[in-house]
Amino acid sequence: MEGRLNDVSEYNASDLLWLGDWSTAWLVALVVLGVIVIAVSIYDLAPMKPARRWTLVSLRAAVYALAVLLLLEPAIDLKNVTKVKNRVAVLVDASGSMALEHEGRARIDRARDAVEALDLPAELEDDNHIWDVFTFGGDLTDTTANALSSVRPTERATDLGAAIATLARRYERADIGGLVVISDGTDTGEIGERTRRDEELDAVTLEAVKSLQAPINTVAVATPDALTDVAITRVVRDDFAFVHNKVSVEVRLQVVGVEPTSFPVKLIRDGELLQTRDVTVTADETAYTVTFEYVPKSIGKEIYTVEAPEFPGEVLLANNRTHFLQKIIRDKIRALQVVGRPSWDERFLRQLLKRNPNVDLISFFILRTDQNVHIASQSELSLIPFPTDELFNSELPSFDLVIFQNFNFGPYNMRQYLPRISSFVKEGGGFVMIGGDLSFASGGYADTPVEEILPVGLPPRTSPNLVDEALFRPQLTDAGQRHPITQLAFDPASNARIWASLPEQRGTNLVLAAKPDATVLATHPRIKVGDAMMPVVTVSEVGEGRVMALTTDSTWRWGFEHLATGGTPREYQVFWNSAIRWLIKDPDLKLLKAEIPADEYTPGDTMTARVRIQQADYTPAPNVEGKLAVSYRSFEAMLERSPETKLVREVDFVTDADGEAIVEFPVDQVGIWTATARAQTSAGELRDADLALAVSAANELRDVLPRPALLAQLSAATAGVHSESAVAHRALNLNAPRTVKVNKREVIQLWDSSIVFVAVLLLLGTEWTLRRRWGRL
Amino acid sequence: MHWTRRSFLQALSAAAALLLSRRAYAIGEHDRVAIPLLRYAGNWNPRPNALRRLLQSVEQRTSILVETASKALDPASPDLFSAPFVVLAGDRAFEPLPDAAILNLRQYLQAGGFLLVDSAEGVQDGPFMQSVRRDLARIYDASRVVVVPRDHVLYKSFFLLDKPVGRVVVSDNVEGVFDDDRLAVVISHNDLLGAWERDNFGSWTFDCTPGGETQREHATRVGINLVMYALCINYKADQVHIPFILRRRQWKVD
Repeated sequence: MEGRLNDVSEYNASDLLWLGDWSTAWLVALVVLGVIVIAVSIYDLAPMKPARRWTLVSLRAAVYALAVLLLLEPAIDLKNVTKVKNRVAVLVDASGSMALEHEGRARIDRARDAVEALDLPAELEDDNHIWDVFTFGGDLTDTTANALSSVRPTERATDLGAAIATLARRYERADIGGLVVISDGTDTGEIGERTRRDEELDAVTLEAVKSLQAPINTVAVATPDALTDVAITRVVRDDFAFVHNKVSVEVRLQVVGVEPTSFPVKLIRDGELLQTRDVTVTADETAYTVTFEYVPKSIGKEIYTVEAPEFPGEVLLANNRTHFLQKIIRDKIRALQVVGRPSWDERFLRQLLKRNPNVDLISFFILRTDQNVHIASQSELSLIPFPTDELFNSELPSFDLVIFQNFNFGPYNMRQYLPRISSFVKEGGGFVMIGGDLSFASGGYADTPVEEILPVGLPPRTSPNLVDEALFRPQLTDAGQRHPITQLAFDPASNARIWASLPEQRGTNLVLAAKPDATVLATHPRIKVGDAMMPVVTVSEVGEGRVMALTTDSTWRWGFEHLATGGTPREYQVFWNSAIRWLIKDPDLKLLKAEIPADEYTPGDTMTARVRIQQADYTPAPNVEGKLAVSYRSFEAMLERSPETKLVREVDFVTDADGEAIVEFPVDQVGIWTATARAQTSAGELRDADLALAVSAANELRDVLPRPALLAQLSAATAGVHSESAVAHRALNLNAPRTVKVNKREVIQLWDSSIVFVAVLLLLGTEWTLRRRWGRL
Repeated sequence: MHWTRRSFLQALSAAAALLLSRRAYAIGEHDRVAIPLLRYAGNWNPRPNALRRLLQSVEQRTSILVETASKALDPASPDLFSAPFVVLAGDRAFEPLPDAAILNLRQYLQAGGFLLVDSAEGVQDGPFMQSVRRDLARIYDASRVVVVPRDHVLYKSFFLLDKPVGRVVVSDNVEGVFDDDRLAVVISHNDLLGAWERDNFGSWTFDCTPGGETQREHATRVGINLVMYALCINYKADQVHIPFILRRRQWKVD
C-alpha cells in the first residue's frame, strides 16, 4: 500500500470512473428499490422511539448504499498530464490603404509599431501560446515579426473574412488561443460590405467570427479624425444596359474633413461630359448618393467616368475619379415602318416584322390623302394624325431602323425632318427605302438630305421616266453572291438557282448609278445606267449607320406567289430578316469576332482575348492565321479627347478546330486596352475589336476612411480586447490551452477492497445488535 | 348617311380632283389591289359588278390603288397566288370543290391569303352557306369557324363600325377563321356584294333592307374595312391608335 501511495504522488490529475456496466434503467430500479426498503423500514419501526427508529433506518440505508456502490464498481483514473500550447495568430493588414499617411506616418508603419509593442516572446513561444505572424489583404500570407519591416502595403483588397476563413482551415486541428488583428479596419471584403458604417455586425459575420471559438483582439492603427478625403466609394449599376432604354447609375460618395459646401459630380461618357449632379456637404453626414440617368445611344461598350473635384489636403486623390465600362446590348430591334399607301408589299413586310419576336415595330400608314373623297366625318373614321414631329424629331433616335416603303414626304410637310433622318443614319441608325410610285425620285427625294445617304443617285423629278413597269428578275452581282442579305443559300450555285426561281418583280423605280462607296448586290437585267446595269438592291455604310435601297415594290411575291411554283416563303423571310440584321449591325453577322470576356483588370493581370472566326456559311473556320494587335490609351488621353493610342504588341494566332483562338497578354498599367483581331479569309479581310479597362486596385482605395469601430465590434463579439494604441501581448485576452498530453495513467478500483466488505459487515452487525437490544427481533 | 348639299359638293370636288390629278402608277399595274372571285361549278358570280364597284369606292375614299377589272380564279390553279384577297360568292348549293382546290386553298390561306365568303341567299345558313361550311371543314377543323368579336380590328380598320350589314341583315355578326392572330377567312351572311352591286348605268341593282341607303353606305364601309384589313391586318390594333379610337367610340356613345 505504501508503494501505491508513492505511485500516486507521480500523478497530477485524476478522474472518478464507474466500471460497472449498468444501464440507466437498472440504476433507476436500484434507487427505487432503495427508497422502498427505507420506506418499509420507517413503517415497520414506527412504534419505536424516534431516535432509535431513525438510527436503525440510517444504518439500513447506509448498508444499502454501500451495496449499490459495490455494484457500480467505482475506480479512480490517475493521470500524469502536461499542457499543449495553443496558437495565436497576429494578422497585420498589408492592403493598399495601409500606405496612406496620417500626421506624417503611414498606417503600415503604425502597424509595425503595434507589432513591436506586443512584445512577443522570444522564439514566438511562451508557456501557453505559440505565436504566428501573417499579413493579410485579399488573403493570408506567412511572415515574421522581423520580416514585417520589408512588407509593402500593396494588397488590392482588405478581406478580413477571407483571412479568418483561411486561418481556420490552417488551424483545423490546432487549439486556437486567439487572434490579434492590426488594421485600419477599411474592410473591402464581405465583412465590410455587409456591415455598413454605424451598423451592428450582421448575423453571418457574427457566426463566422464566433465559430473560431477564440477572442479576436484588435488594434486600430488609424482613426477618421483629422482626415480629409472625397471618395467615390461605389458605382451601383447593372452589368449591361439596353440601347435606347433609360439607365440609372447610383454613385455613392464619402466625404470627410470637408467644410459644408456644395460640389459637382460629373458623369463623362467616352471623354465627353454627359451630366452633372451637385452634392451638398453637411457637417453631420459623410455618405452621399447621386443618381444619373441617361440613354445609351448605340450597342457596344461605352467607357464612363465619374469624377468629383479635388479638395486641399486630401489623403488620397485617386479615389476622386472612377471609370467603368458599360456593355450596351439590344433589347428588341425598334423599327419604324412608314408607308405611303397600303399595298401587298407593305402588308407582307408588316406581317413578317410583327411576327418576329425580336422586333418592336411602330407602323404609320397613310390610309387617306387629300385627293380622296372625304364624305365621312372624322369621328366615323379610325384615322389618326400622322405625328411627324414626334416621330422624326423627338422619337427618331430611339429607333434602330427606319423603313420608308413607297412613301413620299411632300404632302406631310416633312422636308424639315429629312436632315434629321440623314443624321440618324450617320449616327448609327439603319435606313431602307423600298420602291413604289411614291418612292425614290417619284417621291421627290432627289437633291434632298435623304438622297445624300442613299447608296444610289436619283434622277430629277422632272425626268420623263421615273419608273419602269416591265417584269424582271434581279441579277446578283459578285458581291451579292456573298453578301448576307442576298445569300439565300450558302452554296453559290444553289443561291443562283434560288434567285432564278423567284417570281419576277413587277417593275422598278429608275435610279442612277450606285455611289462610289456603295455595294450593288443585285441589278436590273436590262436597264442600264451608263455602262453598268441599273442597281436594284444596293447597300452602303454612311457614317456609323447603314442604308439599303430596294427599287421594287413586289418582293412580297417571293413570300406568296413563289408557293404557286412549289417554292416556300423562306426566301422572302431570309432576305428581309438578313437585311434587317445587316442594317442594324447585328453582331452575330460578324464572321470575325474579337472579345475580351472580362470588363476590368488590374495592372499585373493577364488579359485574355478570344477570337472566333466563321466561314461565309457561319460554320467555324479552323486553321485561319491572323494577327491580334493590342493597343493602349490612357484615361487622361480619353478625358482630354486626344486620339493618342499606343500599339503595345502584335500577336499571331491560328484558330483551332472550333474556329477559335485565345490570346493572352499582360496588362501593366491603368488605362484602356483594345484588342483588334485581323484575318484574311475567303470572305476577304475580316476585322473586329473589343476593349477592356485596367483600373487600379478596384475597391481597395475607394473607401480609405479608417473603421476602428468595425474592429471594436469584432473584438466585442468574441470577447477580445480592442485598442486604438499600442498594447502589450500580456494585456490581450487569449484562450488558455485546452489540449493536454497524458504522459502516465493508472486506474485504481475502489470497490475491490476488503475495507468495503468489513464496513458492510460492521454496519449490518451494529443494526442487528441495536435492533435486538431495543426489543425487536 | 344623309347626303347634304355640302357633302355632295365635297364629293363632287374630290371626284374632280381625282380626275384632274396626275395618274398615279403602282410600279406595274400588277401590283394594284385586285379582288378576284373564285370560280367553281355553280353560280359563282351572282353579283357580277359588285367587286368592281367596291374597289372604285376603295380608290375614291382611301389611298389604296386598285385594279377594278373583273377577274376570276380557279381555286385549284397556281394563279390563285397572284392575288392575296379572293372572294367566294354564291346563292345556292354547289358541288364539293376538288381536292386539288382544297389543298391549294389551304396552302394559300396559311401563306397569308385572305378569303371573303359572301352569301347572296338572304337567309342564314342557306344551301350555299352549308356548301361553304362543308368545304371549309376540309380546309380547317370545323371548330375553328368562330364569330368575329365586335372589338376586332375589322370593325375599325378604316371606318368605325358597329355592325357588318349588307344588302340584308340576317346576321349581326360575321364569322371567321383565325390563322394565329390574323383573320384568314371572313364569312358574311348579309349579301355584302348585293349592296355594292350596280348596273352598267350606275344604278343600284338591289334595295337594301331594312335600312335603305344608309344601310348601303354602311355596307360599303364594311367592304372598305375588309380591304383595309386584308392590306394592313392589325395595324389599327397598334398601341398608338388606341387612344384616338377609344376617344371617338366614347364620343359616339355620349
